[in-house]
Amino acid sequence: MTAVAPVSTTTLEVRGVTMRFGGVVAVDDVSFAAQGGEVLGVMGPNGAGKTTLFNVISGVQRPTAGVVLLDGMRLTGQRVDQIAARGVTRTFQTPVMFWGLTVRESIAIALAAREAGGIYPPGPERGLLACGLGLPAQRTRDAALREQAEVLLAAAGIAYLADRATESLAFGEERLLELARALAARPRVLLLDEPLSGLNAEEVAGVLRTVRAARAEGIAVLLVEHAVGELLGVADRVIVLDHGHAIAQGDPRTIAADPVVIDAYIGDELE
Amino acid sequence: MIASLWQYVLAGVVVGAIYALVAAGFVLIYQVTGIINFAQGEFAMIGAMTAASLAATGMPTPAAALLAVLAAAVIGGLCYLFAIRPATAAKATGVTLIFITLGLDVALRGAALFVWGTNPLSLDPFSAGTAITIFGGVLPPQAAWVLITDALVFVALYVFFRHTYAGTAVRAAVANPPIASTFGIPLRTFAFWSFVAAAAIGGLGGVVIAPITSATYDMGLTLGLAGFVAAVLGGLDSLPGALLGGFVLGIVEKVAGGLLSTGWEEGIGFLILVLVLVLRPQGLLGRAVRRA
Repeated sequence: MTAVAPVSTTTLEVRGVTMRFGGVVAVDDVSFAAQGGEVLGVMGPNGAGKTTLFNVISGVQRPTAGVVLLDGMRLTGQRVDQIAARGVTRTFQTPVMFWGLTVRESIAIALAAREAGGIYPPGPERGLLACGLGLPAQRTRDAALREQAEVLLAAAGIAYLADRATESLAFGEERLLELARALAARPRVLLLDEPLSGLNAEEVAGVLRTVRAARAEGIAVLLVEHAVGELLGVADRVIVLDHGHAIAQGDPRTIAADPVVIDAYIGDELE
Repeated sequence: MIASLWQYVLAGVVVGAIYALVAAGFVLIYQVTGIINFAQGEFAMIGAMTAASLAATGMPTPAAALLAVLAAAVIGGLCYLFAIRPATAAKATGVTLIFITLGLDVALRGAALFVWGTNPLSLDPFSAGTAITIFGGVLPPQAAWVLITDALVFVALYVFFRHTYAGTAVRAAVANPPIASTFGIPLRTFAFWSFVAAAAIGGLGGVVIAPITSATYDMGLTLGLAGFVAAVLGGLDSLPGALLGGFVLGIVEKVAGGLLSTGWEEGIGFLILVLVLVLRPQGLLGRAVRRA
């Protein structure tokens, strides 16, 4: 069932992660691994600890106990931007836009940020100088970035939005842009937090297509989603959280038939 | 009456151009770091005093001007590294940071008093020539340099923010700092460069205005307050607003000073400040909601 990773050998490993907020245990001793070229579904009712788990992996929150490793190297304890630079990119339950930028600009900065030897470390003066002087290297790179941005916009089905201001987007369009922007950062691990919620059928199909394409490129995709049918349809493996515990892990068919899971979650959802 | 009014307007345009440069510094730093840097006017003072004292040693004006802008930029960078950065690293926010910039303002002015004393320094105009006459109004030749400088600075800022990836990344960082950092956009690097750029622009303003107003150790106080009022008037999050606010304030000051009395010249700015804060707190071109 597990797809063969064609390019990457990325392994994200979550080892014994526990997250306590005062007396509340949001995540309790959760362990799992995700490989490049695999979609790992993360299921669980509201408050099960799914988003907290994403916060721990992406470095927004530091776990009370346990570690997160990427290819055997610790992510835990590093800053958000350092973890991002290692190739962990996420989306949010409510899409977060860069207001003031157009759709194309949003994609372009994500692309530029991940470019080898990116433009940012030397400071913004270099962009100004290179642009002002019209340096050939800068022009070639700009052209390449523009082309990549067009490809990503087209793949996400939002090429027609390219010059729109991000403030003017509808909710579904924001979701599609956020996903395209995450892919523009060329992640090795992609954390998607309820990417299907609030989307119409056509947009849902588009997102699922994009998720499969990301898998085919060797990205490890972690997918939190309440739409159980879609989740089980796209995931290679599934982990089920309930009150912070991992109560089941396995392939989607096994999970769907697991009485513990049905009791804790699926039954409720289907009612 | 009309003729003298026109003359006041022209004078206001020149001083407004300098306010616009100082205001641009306020906006740059505020946008990137959320800090209102009340030491902004001192960067103009450092530019003016450095250029004037170097020129007095016989150095050619262009070289003195360049070194003066560099000096302001370096001091702006040092202000960030040694005053702002340690405070933000210690989680200082809001009012604390504002007070730190007020402290910087006093410290820089005090240092200038120590280095240069209280005597005004003069700087020769960048080019010789006769006064410029526009529809009967008269401007000193240096006014052309002031306006050209303004145009170049604002065009450069526009090109940077709209047509470079680095500038776009700064806008993304302004829109949403935490998310921008997850895309590898280095917020602290940008904060540093915002101080350097704001100081360089302020310093440049001081250099070009010095031949008209002469340079004194305490000129930064007035320029800083005027630049602040201009920035608030135009909208603290808007560079075009800084440009507009600078010119409006400059013209209103000179017209009020000319028609009422020169005592009004400085006071009218604070009247404008109060009116803006009451009637349109986001400023003329600012957004009502500052951050996403």
